[in-house]
Amino acid sequence: MIRVFIRSFTLMVISAFTGSVVVFVLLRSVGGDIATVMLGTRATQESLELLRETFGLNRSWVEQYVSWIGGVLTGNLGEAYSKQYVISTEIAQRLEPTLILTFGSLLISIPIALVVGLYSAMNFKRWRGASVDGIAQIGLAIPQFFLALVLVLIFAVRLGWLPATGYVSIFTDPVEALRSMVLPITTLSLGITAVFTRFVRTSMIEQMNEDYMRTAKAKGRTVRSAAIIHGLRNAAIPLVTTGALQIGALIAGSVVVENVFTIPGIGRLLLTSAVTREAITVQSLSLVILIIILTMNLFMDVLYGILDPRIRHKEARK
Amino acid sequence: MKKLSRTGRKSRKSTALKSPQLLLGIILSGFVLTITFVSFFWTPWDPIGINVEDRLLPPNLSHWFGTDRLGRDLFSQIMVGSQNTLFVALISTILGAVLGTSLGLAAAGSGPRLGAVITRISDIGIALPSILIALVLATTLGPGRLSVIIAISFWFVPVTARVVVGPARQILALDFVEAAMTHGRSRRYILFRQVFPNIAPIVIVQTSMMFAAGILIEASLSFLGVGAQPPTTSWGKILMDSQPLVQQAPYYTILPGAFIVISVLGFNLIGDGLSVLLDPQQSKKGVV
Repeated sequence: MIRVFIRSFTLMVISAFTGSVVVFVLLRSVGGDIATVMLGTRATQESLELLRETFGLNRSWVEQYVSWIGGVLTGNLGEAYSKQYVISTEIAQRLEPTLILTFGSLLISIPIALVVGLYSAMNFKRWRGASVDGIAQIGLAIPQFFLALVLVLIFAVRLGWLPATGYVSIFTDPVEALRSMVLPITTLSLGITAVFTRFVRTSMIEQMNEDYMRTAKAKGRTVRSAAIIHGLRNAAIPLVTTGALQIGALIAGSVVVENVFTIPGIGRLLLTSAVTREAITVQSLSLVILIIILTMNLFMDVLYGILDPRIRHKEARK
Repeated sequence: MKKLSRTGRKSRKSTALKSPQLLLGIILSGFVLTITFVSFFWTPWDPIGINVEDRLLPPNLSHWFGTDRLGRDLFSQIMVGSQNTLFVALISTILGAVLGTSLGLAAAGSGPRLGAVITRISDIGIALPSILIALVLATTLGPGRLSVIIAISFWFVPVTARVVVGPARQILALDFVEAAMTHGRSRRYILFRQVFPNIAPIVIVQTSMMFAAGILIEASLSFLGVGAQPPTTSWGKILMDSQPLVQQAPYYTILPGAFIVISVLGFNLIGDGLSVLLDPQQSKKGVV
C-alpha cells in the first residue's frame, strides 16, 4: 500500500513539474513578450521596463522559473500587477468555494450514479433501462452554462425558492450557504453524474455475466441481491479510474459555474485574470489548479488500491 | 475496417443498423448541418440587421424564434452562429485525430520505455482541461478563435493518443504484422498501412465524440467571453448576451441552448451507434 502511494506521489510530482514548465513556457512564448502582453502594445518603453523590473521579467527564464517555484513552495507569490491583492492570500481565500463546489458535486454524483446505473443495468433489456441511458445521453449534451441559466430561470426567477447568485460561507451561515450552493452543485454534477451512470451501467452489465454472479444465484441469492452485494463492488472499482479522468472536467466546469452564479472561487479569479491579462496571476493560478487535479488523482489512485485487493497484492508482490 | 468485422459479427451488424441511436444521431446532426449549410446562402432575416424597436420580441410568425436584445432575428443569429461553433469543432477535431493517432501509433510502435514516456505525457495532457489551456492562451494570445482551437486540440491530441495506443499494441502483436516484418517492411509502413486500418473504427468513433465535445467546449468558452469575438457570433456568445435578460425573455436563452444540446447529442449518438456497429467490443470504452 505504501509502495502504491510512493509511486503515485512521485508521478504526481513529476506531472506537476512538467505542467508548471508547460504553463511557464506557454505564457512566455505564444503571445510574445510577457510585459507587452500585460500592458498592451501601446505601452511606453519606460512602463514596460518598470514592469519587467518589478516582476523580474528581465532575468533569464531559468532564474525566473526557479524564483517562481520557490515562491510557490514558500507560499509567497508576490502582488498582482493591479496591486489590488496579494496573489497567495487571494488564492487561499478562494479555495474554499471551489473545493466545496467540486467535492460537493463529486460526492453527490457517485451515489446517484451507482443507484441509477445499477437499476438501468438490471433492466437493460427493458425500456426502463434503456431510457435511463437515453436520459444520461441528454445529460451529457447539456452545456453547464445553459443548465445553470435554466435552473436560475425556474428555481430563482419563477419559483423564488433559491438565490440566483452569490456565495455564503458555510462558516458564517450554514443554512444560507446550503441554499446558495444547491443550484451550482446541481449544475456542476449533472455532467459527471451522466458519465458515471453510463459507466456503472456498462460495467455492471459486464459483471452480470460473470461466473461469480452465477455462483451467487446458484447459492440462492436473488438477482438483485447478488448484483448489489457482489456485482456493485466490482463495478465500482473501475469507476474510481473514470472518476480521476473526470476531475479535470469538474475543475473546468467550476470555471463556468462560478461565473454564472458569481461565486468568488478560483475559476472566477482565473477568468478575470485572463481577461485583464494578469499573466503572473494566471501562471500561479494554473499551477494551483493543476496541483488540485493531481492531488485528487493521487487520492483516487490510493482509493483504487484500497478498494481492489488484486491491485494491492500485485503491487506487494513486485 | 472489414478485417475486424470478419470474425463472425454479421448478425450484430444487422441489428446495429436498426440501432435507433445511430438513426436519431444522424437525424439530429443532419438537421444542424443542414441549417449551417443553408446559412451560407440564406437566412430568414439579415442576421446583423439591428432594429431596436423590435427588440426582445417573443417568437412569432415573422420572427420564428423572436428577436434578441438589439432586435436582430434570433433564428438567423443561431443559423449564422452555428458556422463558428462547427468550424472550431471541426478544425480541432481534425487536428486532434490526425496528430493524436500519429502520436498513439508512434507510442505503440516505439520501444517500451519511449512508449511509456509518451503515455505518461498524454496522461498529463488529459488531466489539463481545455478551458484552463484556453484561459492561459487568452492571456497571451488574447481571446478568440485561434486560442480556442489550440486549446481544444491541445486536449484532443493526448486523448486520441491514449485511446489508440492500446488497440494498436494489440494489433502489433498479431501474426500478420510479424509476417510483414519478416518481409522487411519498414516500421512506418507497418504502422500506417497495416495497423492503422485495423484501428480506424476506433478513431472514427473517437472523432465523432470529439466533435461533440468540441462544440461543447467552444460554446462554453464563447459564453465566458474568451471564444468568438464580435462581430463573429457563436452559440455560446448568444447565450452570454441573453444571460442578463433571462427573466424578461426566457426564449432568448432556451432556443439557442437547445441547438447546442441537439448538436452535441446528435454527434454523441452517432459515436455511440458507430462504436457498436464498427466494433462491439470497444463500445464500452471511450474517453470523451
